[in-house]
Amino acid sequence: MIILKHYKVDDVSYVSHKDILRVLQRGLKRAGVDVKYSQGYVPHMLTYTSTPVPLGVQSVAEYFAVECNHIDKDEMLARYNLSMPKGMRAVASFYRDKNPNLAAIVSASDYEAASADVLPKEIEGITNCQSYVISTSKKGETVQKDIAPLIFALRVEGNRLFMRLASGNSNLRADSVVNHLNKNFGVNIKINDICRTAQLVGVKDKFVDVEELLK
Amino acid sequence: MWDKLKDILLQVQKPARYVGGEYNLPDMDKPCKERVLLCFSDKYEVGMSNIGTRILYHMLNDMQDVVCERCYAPDLDMAGLLRKNNLPLFSIETKRDAKSFDLIGFSVQFELQFTNIVYMLDLMGVPYFASERGEEYPPIVAGGPCVVNPMPFAPFFDAVLIGEGEKNLKELTLLHYECKSQGLSKQEFLRRASSLDGVYVPSLHNSTKRAVVANLDEAYYPTKILVPNCDIVHDRSSIELFRGCANGCRFCQAGFYYRPIRERSVDTLVKQACELMDNTGYDELGLLSLSTGDYSGLKDLVDKIKVEADKRKVKVALPSLRLDSFEAEIYEEIQGASLTFAPEAGTQRLRDVINKNINEEDILSSLTTAMKYGVKNVKLYFIMGLPTETQEDLQGIVDIVHLIKRLHAQFGTSKLLNITVSTSIFIPKPLTPFQWERQISMQEMLDKQAFMREKLRMKNVKYSWHGAESSIIEAIFARGDKSLAKAIVKAYELGCVFDSWSENFDYGKWIQAFELSGVEYKKFLDGFDEDEELPWDIIDNGVTKSYLLKERHKAYEGVCTSNCLKKCNGCGANRLERCRI
Repeated sequence: MIILKHYKVDDVSYVSHKDILRVLQRGLKRAGVDVKYSQGYVPHMLTYTSTPVPLGVQSVAEYFAVECNHIDKDEMLARYNLSMPKGMRAVASFYRDKNPNLAAIVSASDYEAASADVLPKEIEGITNCQSYVISTSKKGETVQKDIAPLIFALRVEGNRLFMRLASGNSNLRADSVVNHLNKNFGVNIKINDICRTAQLVGVKDKFVDVEELLK
Repeated sequence: MWDKLKDILLQVQKPARYVGGEYNLPDMDKPCKERVLLCFSDKYEVGMSNIGTRILYHMLNDMQDVVCERCYAPDLDMAGLLRKNNLPLFSIETKRDAKSFDLIGFSVQFELQFTNIVYMLDLMGVPYFASERGEEYPPIVAGGPCVVNPMPFAPFFDAVLIGEGEKNLKELTLLHYECKSQGLSKQEFLRRASSLDGVYVPSLHNSTKRAVVANLDEAYYPTKILVPNCDIVHDRSSIELFRGCANGCRFCQAGFYYRPIRERSVDTLVKQACELMDNTGYDELGLLSLSTGDYSGLKDLVDKIKVEADKRKVKVALPSLRLDSFEAEIYEEIQGASLTFAPEAGTQRLRDVINKNINEEDILSSLTTAMKYGVKNVKLYFIMGLPTETQEDLQGIVDIVHLIKRLHAQFGTSKLLNITVSTSIFIPKPLTPFQWERQISMQEMLDKQAFMREKLRMKNVKYSWHGAESSIIEAIFARGDKSLAKAIVKAYELGCVFDSWSENFDYGKWIQAFELSGVEYKKFLDGFDEDEELPWDIIDNGVTKSYLLKERHKAYEGVCTSNCLKKCNGCGANRLERCRI
């Protein structure tokens, strides 16, 4: 199994995760990669992804795993980059005997966001709260969510915002947080200016970058 | 522009439709002297499925000094936000203001898209009528299959391209660049354009002859095509086997319009298919034509393509198989889940009138073969309201269903057979032998549909029908004249847009629009006298009026015309280019 770390930036950040799966599979076909198929009645490609980023958010740390035959990981990376639409570029590839099941083990993601203006330091105060409830929209309905336990870090440096948020089974969407900040802290951060910079796995009592884990 | 768009893209459904970035995108930054915008008057997922505009898009981008971008009708949510934020309609590739292009082309696919033309012009911020657009606006031209009779929408355009864009759009683009570099006016450009083959300039009302490519085998066909990032209607690559149709069904506009018949060779098609499969990564390949079963090298082609497709795990889809060309051996190779027949009429008498050269035996023998291969679904298509139709003909449709059910019962299989019957309503179209006919009234339509609903209430039989109201609007515009343009604008102002999407169609508003704009619309439903001048007479589409008239008389006598493959019937289309026959 080969795992690729890739970008999802620019135009393709507006392509939904469901559509991205199809883009990835078509790309593999164009790349001429001998992908393994499931053995069911309707065979499908054996490909796996980690937790997707929200629509509109960019990412330089997406992971995509493929079961395939006879291909070197570097060759795979080169072919992938020739076969994907603009905005989807692989930057590293790894070989694994077994599926690491990234969707299940990733528990946090790092995000960076930029604003045109300097951001207020008060934003960092959210991390000191025991409980911090925001309203988010879920399937068109507004729901209340306590995000305090899901924020691992929140830092402001000039016009830049750094966030480490829960990802995976218990998840906090970066766009929900930013929408809340835009509304309640008088800032103006565009969703498309948020970028996921890393996905992390909890190992013992600290977070390890997935890339480190795969090396 | 891009910065402002970022704010609204996440507030609309499926933002991927507006950002582009598809694989195989041509070079948008190359040095260019002519920037063309191709507009499609429906949503992205429909427009991207259209093979014609795809051909033209890549053709223009492959031309030296020309860059072509795309624009589709934005969905209503996007349009609302564009208006709210004071943003104009923009191109997908570089997000440029649509009206800043050198030349704008619209693809008009069918009658119920006419309000979308006005909708897009409105969003561009340009006057609707060409006569109101001065030199500060680029020439806006139209093309597409609907130009058989361009009169109802012609006043919106500076020019209408009649025929195959591989020829006239290329010539028009070159001419425009030449005129522009010489500093000539738009008026002068249009005057010169009117002498090209297949260019109708409404302000000059010039007669013109449809442009067609002489040799389809050598004609431009893109194999490095855009692969969309989001779901579209026909999401596959396609090869075009041939243009034209040899059958001459008398209700069918496409069958006459796309003549003369020109084929691509098997070798060219196999080469194009391989390149397409490799360049796109699509897992389905379609074989396109009006009647795939009539392609002279079908068996050879399917054999060769199957080998290549299997290697790449690609499925080959064979649409539009006519009943009489249905071959068991092909079916064996390409097992479809369902079988589709279009007998169009319920009795042999009426099938002779419309020149659908199929008889009941054909249907039954094809079905018998198909049942051997375990076909589970049979779909049947019929047209109601055809000239000379009687109650007996409708009963004939029901009889065919009974016959299929009996056949299935005799076969003794325990598997269920689902039968789907769909009826549409006959719309007399220009450039067919039935172009003079009247359309049946709304009440007749509803009565016929009610009869079918009642009679087809059977186990494992599903009946669906096409709306009566939209058929009437379609019929009005199919044979309408220039007076209808103001009704289109009025309908748009009343809120009609995306009329081809049934959830948006509002018949009441349309009738109101006709009344408010004082347009006499009923005459276009009543039909024409044979010696009357028809709105589209000024355009020479190939097939002659005298031939159509002859066919009309034969229809009333119930006399069939043989398939062109058997002998040339002298329709006149070979005056444009040599016909394969």
